[in-house]
Amino acid sequence: MKQRKRMLEELDADIRDHIERETQDNIERGMSPEEARYAAHRKFGNITHVKEETRMVWSVVWLEQLFEDIRFGLRLLRKNPGFTAVAMLTLALGIGANTAVFSVVYAVLLRPLPYKDPSSLIVLNETTPMVGTVSVSYLNFLDWRNQSRAFSEMAAVRGVGFNLAGVTQPENISGDAVSPNFLSMIGARPFLGRDFDASEEKAGTPPVILLSYSLWQSHFGGDPNILARTIKLDDRSFTIVGVLPPNYRSLDKTDVMLPIGVWTTDNPEDAKERGARGDLVVIGRLATGVSLPKARAEMEGIAARLATEYPASNDRFGVTLQPIREAFVSDIRPAILVLFGAVMFVLLIACANVANLFLVRGAGRTKEVALRMALGASSGRIICQMLTESFVLSLLGGVLGVGLAIAGNRALAQLISADMMSGATVELNSAVLLFVAGVVVLAAFVFGLTPAMHSTKPDVQSELKESGRTTSGGAAQNRLRGALATAEISLALILLVGAGLMMKSLSRLLQVDPGFRPDRVLKMSMDLRTQQYLKDPAVLNFWQQVLDRVRVLPGVESAALGTVIPLTDNHNRSDVTIEGMALPAPGNYPHPDVHIVSPQYLTTLGIPLLRGRSFTDEDNENAPLAGMISAMVAHRFFPNEDPIGKRFMFGHPSATNPSKWYTIVGVVGDTKLYGLANPARLEVYVSYRQKPANAMGLLVKSGADPAALTSAIREAVHSIDKDQPIFAIVTMKKLVSDSVSTRRMTLVLLGLFSGLALILGAIGIYGVISYSVAQRTHEIGIRMALGAPRGDVFRLVVGQGLKLAGIGIAIGIVAAFGLARLMFSLLYGVSATDFETFAGVAILLVLVALLACYVPARRAMRVDPIVALRYE
Amino acid sequence: MSTKEQRERIELLQGTLDLLILRTLLLGPRHGHAIAKAIEFNSDDVLQVEQGSLYPALHRLIKRGWISVEEGTSENNRRAKFYRLTPNGRRQLALETRKWDKLAGAIARILRPAEQEGEP
Repeated sequence: MKQRKRMLEELDADIRDHIERETQDNIERGMSPEEARYAAHRKFGNITHVKEETRMVWSVVWLEQLFEDIRFGLRLLRKNPGFTAVAMLTLALGIGANTAVFSVVYAVLLRPLPYKDPSSLIVLNETTPMVGTVSVSYLNFLDWRNQSRAFSEMAAVRGVGFNLAGVTQPENISGDAVSPNFLSMIGARPFLGRDFDASEEKAGTPPVILLSYSLWQSHFGGDPNILARTIKLDDRSFTIVGVLPPNYRSLDKTDVMLPIGVWTTDNPEDAKERGARGDLVVIGRLATGVSLPKARAEMEGIAARLATEYPASNDRFGVTLQPIREAFVSDIRPAILVLFGAVMFVLLIACANVANLFLVRGAGRTKEVALRMALGASSGRIICQMLTESFVLSLLGGVLGVGLAIAGNRALAQLISADMMSGATVELNSAVLLFVAGVVVLAAFVFGLTPAMHSTKPDVQSELKESGRTTSGGAAQNRLRGALATAEISLALILLVGAGLMMKSLSRLLQVDPGFRPDRVLKMSMDLRTQQYLKDPAVLNFWQQVLDRVRVLPGVESAALGTVIPLTDNHNRSDVTIEGMALPAPGNYPHPDVHIVSPQYLTTLGIPLLRGRSFTDEDNENAPLAGMISAMVAHRFFPNEDPIGKRFMFGHPSATNPSKWYTIVGVVGDTKLYGLANPARLEVYVSYRQKPANAMGLLVKSGADPAALTSAIREAVHSIDKDQPIFAIVTMKKLVSDSVSTRRMTLVLLGLFSGLALILGAIGIYGVISYSVAQRTHEIGIRMALGAPRGDVFRLVVGQGLKLAGIGIAIGIVAAFGLARLMFSLLYGVSATDFETFAGVAILLVLVALLACYVPARRAMRVDPIVALRYE
Repeated sequence: MSTKEQRERIELLQGTLDLLILRTLLLGPRHGHAIAKAIEFNSDDVLQVEQGSLYPALHRLIKRGWISVEEGTSENNRRAKFYRLTPNGRRQLALETRKWDKLAGAIARILRPAEQEGEP
């Protein structure tokens, strides 16, 4: 390389020397000095060319050409700031949208889960036709683990909650009680301390606990000497034996982790009752070489055997298996994929627009290209150079796009609730940047290749001969530009149809009657877990005091307690027996949601009372057991009779189940407990004084903004028990709104993207038409000189635009017809081929196309025939 | 105008020119102008090389290590660059010459088959 530099530096001198010698020779042959110098130069040839060639000898040719092309491209871009700004901004929008959405796609769908070989980790649940997927009973888990050969390991993960008396405010924390092999099975190790020991599965094991990394940081300041310290949960001391790794990710929030043996010790009934299914999932690792279908077949066999063996608890209960990745993303996946497809379309439209810009500019450059080709540049070389230009532009757009994505991601975070992300964090990491790089290169090809190839078409030679006019792009080019605009319209239509269907779905969904009135109701949760609440009277006393003190707070209209608050994850279902009914098979008993409520529950939530009465303070522990049923229960089990006065009991009648009959006193409206899009289920209500519950939701209806009451309510509760945490504080309105948040996010983003597509598509049509008007000024001039009315000229131009739009709309409708089916799972109350939406979007596009043609058409009408003709 | 044709012509020239330069330097180191003169003189002026094309060729040969360059003074005491054949270059020349002879022979046989037939 050093040699190269020296050789090239001396090249000038060498050439000068050479020519001087030749001149000298020529003089000696008798030429005049002037003649001699001229002859020497002629004999030497083109000095610049020689230098260039010599330099090429030493250079890595393509690299240097590339740099030169980049320099040339940048110079051109600087010279056309308008073109550059429009093209760059268009690309930045397309690339930015892709970057933002891809960062979500990556975080949610692609990023490897922090487990060892996550693809062989399977989440197992039980399933019943009554409800769908349900939790696993602990005894069933033990049998699964014993009998299964398809899994090398299995672990139970039981959700638990604790009250943590804090420094400032008591709080409720959540965690998992797990089989001791759980962490090692998923390939995680404690950040500090030890993993659980196999002996800690047995009941009676001492209370030990692992802290989550964040709890260790927030509550213990990351104390390195944390081991062997204790943490007081409820009012027991747990020995801290370790800290979970910072990247530990689970399906739910995990503040603490404890061995399942501690849980079975604390909850002997749950651990020994096969019918008890509460918040327990099983995670298994497939044995080597076992496929998911094979494991599923084996597990279904085991479940079927258990159902026969234990019909009372297992009749009709099956098992579901899903890869752990699916368990993390199943809810949001369709929405994200639809949006990812949408941004791809936006990018394609952006590319089509930029390609169009290039074609227009290319038309102005045909002379330059023709000249260069005449001078010997190969078409490959010119294509290369033009692609480099595209690439430079794409890169600039990409950089700007990443900037937009950073801003966009912040907005996205507002739209996507943490709940939807199930622990995934969206960030612009190296994987996302790699994707952006790919998009930049791809985009450069998509929008650069066609114009580049086009610019070197053979008719460039005639271009040189043609003297003055540079605007003739040729019919082929006009067709190409028209096709691009048509494609933009098609893509925009597909996006608009998607957005339209989403909008209709959401509005249909929000019109659904949830069965209750969410307005001005605040909901908060409490779980009485300490020793003092072991006995029912204490529990009842606490709840009664809460109601008494909250009801008298200023601004409170009514307050009530309930165990199953609509649209939350809290569910409590039980088989019931209706007195006098023909006893069905064990798996076919009515299986309603069971509400344990205080008086005023119906009024506070605005649930209509259809018949009979609702609970009063008289429905207490001393009164006969009373119950209310939902309309659906009444309809299904008492179709032709008045249910009031009839009786039901929980569970199946048997020798061990003492018959505690609840007399039906009222019938109430159905509520949508499981989401607005899901059908209502059977529901029964009982009085909290007759079936006490430690964990309840407090509902407060206020005259104004319910959230303003939060601190007053908190104070009231803490005046009863200062260590009782209050958590999950949320307005019912927010719960309703959150329940449709995936669809809302999809709608907002799809609306945004399709709006962008519409604007870009309109610009595309506008560009093509106004360029064509400019090209046809002469022709229009002649037409008008020959007496064509201005209206005809207007129609001519608009007709051309409408033809493009019409073809685009037709293609788009066919494509949207197929593609809209893909978003089937996101739609509600509207068919994927909804006529109204398709027609509305088509009309909208026609109007936009008309608007885009209007300005150029007006310009065409104003063409002065004299000027147009003289121009030639 | 076909650019492909043009490039082929240049390539043919390049290879030939390289061979001629190596052959010229076999007789001893020379400076650039002298090499050009020698090629013209030895070919009885049949090969009218554009003298400028000599320089890319020289640089190419240096890069490949077939010739080296040194400072020196020419006959009339002027400083000049002298190009010298390296051992590698010598080997390359022998190789190229053999190849050239073979090629020339082959082409000659194709171009003049009639003469061969005519001779008994």
